[in-house]
Amino acid sequence: MTDRTIDLKAAKPRNQWWDVWDQFRTHKGALMGMFVLGFILFCTLVGPHLWDIDPKLIDIRARAKGPSMAHPLGTDQLGRDMLARLFSGGRITIAVGMTAMVLSLVLGTFIGVVAGYFRRLDGILMRLTDLFLALPLLPLLLLMVMLFRESLVLSLGPENGVFILIVFAIGITSWMHTARIVRGDVLALKEREFVLASRSIGTPARRMILRHILPNVMSPIMVSATLGVANAVITESALSFLGLGFPPDFPTWGRLLSDGMVYINQNPERVIWPAIALSALVLSINYIGDGLRDALDPRIRGR
Amino acid sequence: MLDAMPDPKPATKLVQVKDLKMYFPIHTGLLRRHTGDVKAVDGISFDIMEGETLGLVGESGCGKSTVGRALLRLYELTGGSVTIDGDDIAKLGAEALRKKRPTMQMVFQDPQASLNPRMTVAALIGEPLDEHGGMSATEKLARVYELMDAVGLNRNFANRYPHAFSGGQRQRIGIARALALNPKFIVCDEPIAALDVSIQAQVVNLLEDLQEKFGLTYLFISHDLSMVRHIADRVAVMYLGRIAELSPREPLYAEPLHPYAKALLSAVPEPDPEHEAKRRRIILQGDVPSPSNPPKGCNFCTRCPEVIPMCHEVEPDLLEVRPGRFVACHLVKPETKTPAAGSTGRPEVKEHNQQGEPRI
Repeated sequence: MTDRTIDLKAAKPRNQWWDVWDQFRTHKGALMGMFVLGFILFCTLVGPHLWDIDPKLIDIRARAKGPSMAHPLGTDQLGRDMLARLFSGGRITIAVGMTAMVLSLVLGTFIGVVAGYFRRLDGILMRLTDLFLALPLLPLLLLMVMLFRESLVLSLGPENGVFILIVFAIGITSWMHTARIVRGDVLALKEREFVLASRSIGTPARRMILRHILPNVMSPIMVSATLGVANAVITESALSFLGLGFPPDFPTWGRLLSDGMVYINQNPERVIWPAIALSALVLSINYIGDGLRDALDPRIRGR
Repeated sequence: MLDAMPDPKPATKLVQVKDLKMYFPIHTGLLRRHTGDVKAVDGISFDIMEGETLGLVGESGCGKSTVGRALLRLYELTGGSVTIDGDDIAKLGAEALRKKRPTMQMVFQDPQASLNPRMTVAALIGEPLDEHGGMSATEKLARVYELMDAVGLNRNFANRYPHAFSGGQRQRIGIARALALNPKFIVCDEPIAALDVSIQAQVVNLLEDLQEKFGLTYLFISHDLSMVRHIADRVAVMYLGRIAELSPREPLYAEPLHPYAKALLSAVPEPDPEHEAKRRRIILQGDVPSPSNPPKGCNFCTRCPEVIPMCHEVEPDLLEVRPGRFVACHLVKPETKTPAAGSTGRPEVKEHNQQGEPRI
């Protein structure tokens, strides 16, 4: 062995996250998506400080105006500045979308993995999943909002209370597909020989799941995650549209869309801008998820 | 029953298997009621001495791999006991079994399937160390490199993923994993079946070198009879979940006693064309009976060319018929002088005698 002399520090295996990043960079769509998402995040986080018109300020004399220097995206029927509303609405929409997605993903992955890995729990958990799938979602959401909004708003304030309620409601009603997909994959993975090989070493179930099962079900989880954001944003819009989401003067992209729809003939840009923002958000997350999925798979990496 | 076996060197028994049974339940009907069992392994007993290689041969589906996996308690045994290095594996609790795992390891058949595609070579070889070592990161890395040297893998490969390797290299990764915890006993479950012939020799030689270097004990499961002849000290021939014959290598290949062992060994091609032309194969009729419904009496009675009425009634025991040779057959009597009935005058026996080079 000639290389016995090399010192261990120099030959330390390279952190594999660098390989992931290298592969991610080669995915043009994912880079573009990251750029767009970064831009949206910048606008929603920093934008309100740069464009400091209060999105709730009603200026009745400037109502339903087209684009001008004072209001680059025009105003709505009450004279509120559309750019400011778009910026602050994005905050809520992105926060709701991301949090609800994470919640449903964590819940779905957990239930899917546990059901797939532990045979004894499979029946119970999958019937629970079927139960949730069988529930009519919109009535359930409406019921939850009706029942809990008052108490949450009272204890946590109107903004936080509704936020938590909506995130929870969306998360709790959208984990089922993730759970089913993950369970199916885990069932197949569990019978693979490398799991048996790991069992022959004496790996306990907890580490088996973290080390062998979860990394190998990453792809379907990623796909679920990207779809989950879109789903959460759309559900939030639907709730706002029905008047059961955030308070009416509180801008979210879904509400901006539904408010603007009535005026689509007079001021089409009132619908176009929130719609573009929403589509760009969902699309960029889809592309990032796509790139991440490729980058995390060592078989695709390096091609 | 195997206690009386004479052994040239005073070796200790590392593995003792007694009446091992492994049944897989069959559930049928709407209520998934337990209606029967696939008797994959049906009451087998054998010992493996320290430092020895026991070959386990038999046709596909005879329960070879099940034996290997049951020995490491990758399945919950239906019955019997497996004593490895003083502990009965079948009765250990979960944590005690985990502590015991480093003593016994396994090399798997398909190196593609037995390595997690999402882990690098360093992570794969280091996994057993993570589980049992309690080593620091530097110590672990040093050990991983040591193992890679031992199995002949370039250290620069540490950061690569299994898909980037050839079959032989992947099997080396599998062997390095098995070696990581300094085991005493390794079950090689057809480690060469998925490799091409040129690589098979490399891997088998590597296994032999490692055995010499680390004093390992192997259970070598294979259906490649010539490879078993090369590596094994003793060979067990399995048929339908039972051991038909368990003999030292040379006597078995020279003169198989059990009718099934004869048939199996007659299928080994001879390298010499003259002998090959004279070789007479014993071709068995019919198919292997279903292990969920094995025949009454001897397992082999439905296909045995030398079957007698008794075979359909009484199940033969595995008896020592010659020194060190165990056969489960009514025709082979435990008398040392007279040759076993039906085994005289068979041309294939003579051929083996001529070809069997005494390389002990």
